[in-house]
Amino acid sequence: MRVIDLALKDLLQIVRDRRSAFFLGVMPILFTFFFGLVFGSSAEGDPRLPVGFVIHDESDALSASSQTLLEASDAIRPVLLEGNDADSAAESVRDGDLAGAVIVPVGFGEQALAGEKPRLTVIVDQNTPAGQTASSAVQAAMTRLLGAVETARLSAEAFEAREGFESEAARRAYLDEALALASEAWLQPPLTVAVEQSGAAAEEGEEISPNVYTQSSPGMIVQFVVFGLNTSAMVLVLERRSRTLQRLLTTPITRTQVIAGHVLAMFLVVFLQQALLVAFGQLAFGVDYMREPLAILLVMVTLALWVASLGLLIGAMSKSEDQVIMWALMAMFVFSALGGAWFPLDVTGKTFAAIGHLMPTAWAMDGFQNIVLRGLGLSSVLLPAGILLAYAVAFFALAVWRFKFE
Amino acid sequence: MHKNFGDVYAVQGVNFDVQAGEIFSLLGPNGAGKSTIISMLACLLEPTQGDALVMGHSILRDPMAVKAAIGVIPQDIALYEDLSARENLNFWGKMYGLRGAALRQRVDEVLGVIGLAERQKGRVGKFSGGMKRRLNVGIALLHKPHVIIMDEPTVGIDPQSRRNILDNVKELNQQGMTVLYTTHYMEEAQELSDNIAIMDQGKIIAHGTHDELVKIVGELDRIDLTINAEAGRVLERWQATEGVHQVSAENGQLTLLVDDSNVVLPRLFESASRGGVRITSVEIQEPNLEAVFLHLTGRALRD
Ligand SMILES: Nc1ncnc2c1ncn2[C@@H]1O[C@H](COP(=O)(O)OP(=O)(O)OP(=O)(O)O)[C@@H](O)[C@H]1O
Ligand SMILES: [Mg+2]
Repeated sequence: MRVIDLALKDLLQIVRDRRSAFFLGVMPILFTFFFGLVFGSSAEGDPRLPVGFVIHDESDALSASSQTLLEASDAIRPVLLEGNDADSAAESVRDGDLAGAVIVPVGFGEQALAGEKPRLTVIVDQNTPAGQTASSAVQAAMTRLLGAVETARLSAEAFEAREGFESEAARRAYLDEALALASEAWLQPPLTVAVEQSGAAAEEGEEISPNVYTQSSPGMIVQFVVFGLNTSAMVLVLERRSRTLQRLLTTPITRTQVIAGHVLAMFLVVFLQQALLVAFGQLAFGVDYMREPLAILLVMVTLALWVASLGLLIGAMSKSEDQVIMWALMAMFVFSALGGAWFPLDVTGKTFAAIGHLMPTAWAMDGFQNIVLRGLGLSSVLLPAGILLAYAVAFFALAVWRFKFE
Repeated sequence: MHKNFGDVYAVQGVNFDVQAGEIFSLLGPNGAGKSTIISMLACLLEPTQGDALVMGHSILRDPMAVKAAIGVIPQDIALYEDLSARENLNFWGKMYGLRGAALRQRVDEVLGVIGLAERQKGRVGKFSGGMKRRLNVGIALLHKPHVIIMDEPTVGIDPQSRRNILDNVKELNQQGMTVLYTTHYMEEAQELSDNIAIMDQGKIIAHGTHDELVKIVGELDRIDLTINAEAGRVLERWQATEGVHQVSAENGQLTLLVDDSNVVLPRLFESASRGGVRITSVEIQEPNLEAVFLHLTGRALRD
């Protein structure tokens, strides 16, 4: 009971300190957002340039084919614009909302199939790299399209010369089919580069929809639980300095209970902080922690245990408030940089990744990301959680050994 | 009990009894070893040698029972400055095992006793030194301990807070609490105590009631003098003067123990003027604890 009362007292002191809200909540959320922006591209996860598409004649088969061709482009992404408004499309291009716009006129398909040269209007800003890219991508797609049309037309003419069509409708059906086949053929690029992932995971994960925050959200959780514990280590240092720690020992409480109370407070702070940040990651950043709630809970609990014993160690080693901040900052930098909180360890090469995995934080990242990024299940966090627990025990023993009551 | 810190012999074979219901004072100058004794009785320090019994419980074998029976008021103020007075009392009350309605009631009572009821919601960090001292005392009273141990609870505070604390000590004692009090103020020991132990350099050098202790210096009077010259110019001559038992000089003040000041004082004036020295102030004091300490150690109690 005294252990809990002592922990509640610590929590009260932490809540009293205005800086706590900042260290524990505001900063990690801002950093998650910031890192997400820096390392992610666009929020939809589609890096291609948006190009507006205005189709004046929707019944036209060719208009649809041209859209399909553009859809397959590596450089641009067609956005079908509502209404037939060329002016507003031009305005979107000027504002930079679109990299370019394509206006498909009435009779485009008829002209092309009749062997005439139809005119497409392409609106781009040639002064910007995006505009140039969009323009050449549209040109390439249209060249292919018209090539397909020409192929279909020639094939129809050849057929007609040999056998003749029974009716105009039959001729039209043949032409459409030929065109579809030709466009299909154009869709297959002449050269294919096969991309194979090296070191593929032994376990096949579920497909996870891409989200730039799957790195920064767990990363900032790991970083700021380490930094955030300066709030609770501070309480301990102030207690020693104000001699209330000594005074505690004149009341019927044992030294073990005093340490347990402080560790409990630290655990609660870290756990609640994680709960807040996980909830925020889930709701605001769309990182799907809740697809394996039990696994996430296990990672949270073991991470909180390790961080609490790190906090006790910092509290045991520091004599002043400045030292607490210094140790907490140092721990934060070392553990987050090496532990993969800032950038994924996968991209850093084997040596760095191996060194990184000496950090308990790397295992915490693995635990979180196995769920939110790799789509794995509960069993995938057992090893990370076990290693975190082992670190917690080791740090706790070190802290108790170094703990001074005066 | 003995206590060494390396080769500092802070407490050297101290032995005393405190009767239930009395106020017992440890009187001694800085560094005498008072706080070290208190720390051992509060189970914060283990004696290098020896043991003590508090309410029959050994401080070595049953520290938890000792801690439950005592309320310790540390020499240094020990409070949570970022919490309010009431929050401090609440927390410490829980540490002493109080809960719920009983806790609330005791906190209210103690706030009244220490005169902080109106400031109970105030942050302790903003309190004056005297208010902090009073709260420092209040915390140790929450669980109505059998024994209160107070380590110089009145150091460096205003007369009003000092009065509040001294009155509280007497009041608590009348309610049946046993008080162990340390101080280097002779007046406090004299006003409060049933029994006094005078300490110096880790040892008890005298022990008894106030009247018994004062008898050590007998019927001697004490004279405090200042002169307009170096003390050395009169020291030897005055030591040889008839009726003078002891002369000491400290910080420009001379202190003499004499048989009868009425007879001796004229002799001092005469011998001073023969040596060309003027006496600039004189104060005559009846025998007191200060004189006892001077008599036993050759030094003044205060620095
Ligand atoms: N932790 C310690 N380590 C080393 N020496 C100590 C320690 N605590 C006390 N001492 C020494 O022991 C002696 C007695 O100190 P103590 O604090 O008991 O004196 P005191 O009578 O309480 O004095 P004061 O009136 O100044 O509080 C002093 O010489 C002091 O320097
Ligand atoms: Mg002392």
